[in-house]
Amino acid sequence: MDAILLASQMVFQPQVLLTIVMAALFGLFVGAVPGLTATMATALLVPITFFMEPVPAIGAIVTCSAMAIFAGDIPGTLLRIPGTPASAAYTDEAYAMTRKGQGELALGANLLFSALGGLFGTAILIVAAPSLAEVALRFSSFEYFWLACLGLTCATVVGTGSTVKGLVSLLIGLFVATIGLNNPAGVPRFTFGNVDLLGGIDFIPAMIGLFAVSEIFRYVLGMAPDLDGAQTKVGNLFTGWGRLMKQYWRQSIRGNVIGISIGALPGAGADIASWVSYAVSKRFSRTPEKFGTGHVEGIIESTSSNNAALGGAWVPALVFGIPGDSITAIVIGVLYLKGMNPGPTIFINNPQDIYAVFLIFILANIFMIPAGWAAIKSARVLMRVPRNVLMPTILMFCVVGSFAINNSAFGITVMLVFGLLGFVMEENGFPIAPTILGIVLGPMLEENFVTSMIKSGGSFAGFFERPISGTLGVITLAIWIVPLALFVWRKARS
Amino acid sequence: MRINDAILGAVLLAFALAIGLYARTLPAIPGQEYGAAVFPTWIAFAIGACSLVLIAGGLRRWAETGAVTLASWARSGHHLRALAITVALVVFYILVSTPLGFIPTAFITLTALFAVLGVRLALAPVLAAVLTMVVHYGFYSLLRVPLPWGVLTPWAW
Repeated sequence: MDAILLASQMVFQPQVLLTIVMAALFGLFVGAVPGLTATMATALLVPITFFMEPVPAIGAIVTCSAMAIFAGDIPGTLLRIPGTPASAAYTDEAYAMTRKGQGELALGANLLFSALGGLFGTAILIVAAPSLAEVALRFSSFEYFWLACLGLTCATVVGTGSTVKGLVSLLIGLFVATIGLNNPAGVPRFTFGNVDLLGGIDFIPAMIGLFAVSEIFRYVLGMAPDLDGAQTKVGNLFTGWGRLMKQYWRQSIRGNVIGISIGALPGAGADIASWVSYAVSKRFSRTPEKFGTGHVEGIIESTSSNNAALGGAWVPALVFGIPGDSITAIVIGVLYLKGMNPGPTIFINNPQDIYAVFLIFILANIFMIPAGWAAIKSARVLMRVPRNVLMPTILMFCVVGSFAINNSAFGITVMLVFGLLGFVMEENGFPIAPTILGIVLGPMLEENFVTSMIKSGGSFAGFFERPISGTLGVITLAIWIVPLALFVWRKARS
Repeated sequence: MRINDAILGAVLLAFALAIGLYARTLPAIPGQEYGAAVFPTWIAFAIGACSLVLIAGGLRRWAETGAVTLASWARSGHHLRALAITVALVVFYILVSTPLGFIPTAFITLTALFAVLGVRLALAPVLAAVLTMVVHYGFYSLLRVPLPWGVLTPWAW
């Protein structure tokens, strides 16, 4: 109890609260600007935290990442350009709602369920951090292989239109993931002597290219959707909150649980949680045919999930010093820098520090409602700015954002190539989202497959010998085989 | 501009062959069955299989769709020029930003892009100048991104 009081004293100081507010505004800005990501916001904040005390430094990062993940929904909903990769899963859905004049419902749902997801994630972080991290730690390469397969399976479930084209898109992403030196054999692949390619293709410039630059090309070619029929102002965001909570509480809880579970697994963060939740929502929906037409159900589950994942990702980060995602990978560096070395002993030696982090999580997610409301209200400006001014501005942000990943012009080249690729793919009915998932999950899939095969002496049976691995394997195979078998059975009957 | 699936499938088939052949040149790890070539080979097989499905589907619909269905922009010289200039401006930025510096390069890029997209010629350089300085201040001064100074290095702040 003393530790909680001490933590409260550490957090409720004007200087700390001001830092949290400033970090929130920064996170909202970076998240809402297409081409900039929550990871980038966190990374860019690190040099500033050098000059801060430990608690405001961690507080700034917690608040900034939570706000950026939420704020990514704003340009996704209003302009069909996801602000962060975590919003990409339901960007088309949210934009379809805006086109139908339901933008405020989509944004209101994003705001409410992001905050609820964040609070739920925090609650789990507080209550179950050690035990959840222990479960995740028991995972071996076999489990991770199936987890990656499950993620890739989700890509084809999420995709609309031709399954073959969805698969091609996914395979292009997997191919891109093989480029570079970073593979289990440590052999340069598809680099053709280019030094920049040795490091592989970073998925952030690729994502900026596929999602933002291809959209700019469409605008330049006069193909941008006509906004005349769409919503140009955002009304009362709180409309329908009660109804949404009553109607979609199951989806919200399921999204939270999936988000926390995936977030707590090392390597899988808010982005993957968001994709998986959207796919799960569609799979279990009573009205799956509404998905893709501007339906709030999948958005609620997915947006709950990506914010809950943030709390989940902190579980292994705080308890064992293993990053749950790219943001917590940066956070661990800051924790060490500030003398708050992550590990089980921090709960014993410095419990007040941990409680302070928990308190900041709660504050950040509560503050998300008014700050998010203000951000959405000011986002109306985005809709009013002439597009011939807005699009070059976004392009410049994309260029600088791609450069900032590695402080290299190579990032901009990647962005441009993927912008053109995304444009051609979309023109010909190939979904672009599976490509990103392939790039993200490819290395995890290959590394865990090769490691598992070495462990099992080249026997595939190893993937089914462990209980969790076997269960995940059966689920993954069932997702592929059951619909196919049902299709064949129905065909045979008819 | 929609290209017939058979043509896209043929391109993908060639791509798959190229990946597969390249993968054969990757060295094996002594004493280990699963090396660097395994994944690229699987991907090549999978893309190859998908491309055959696309070719079959595209050939079935060839009579109704033809080789290419042109979108309205593909017949508009103005729009095609705008796309070419936009791509060229990004290439220009990539090639020139380091020697010339962020500020002049971004100013030129933005002014040209504003002009191409129909912003009034008197307004385009003003908007470009303001935006360049805002982006520079935000990223360079506040976020410490090392944007290149190029020819302006003697006056760097």
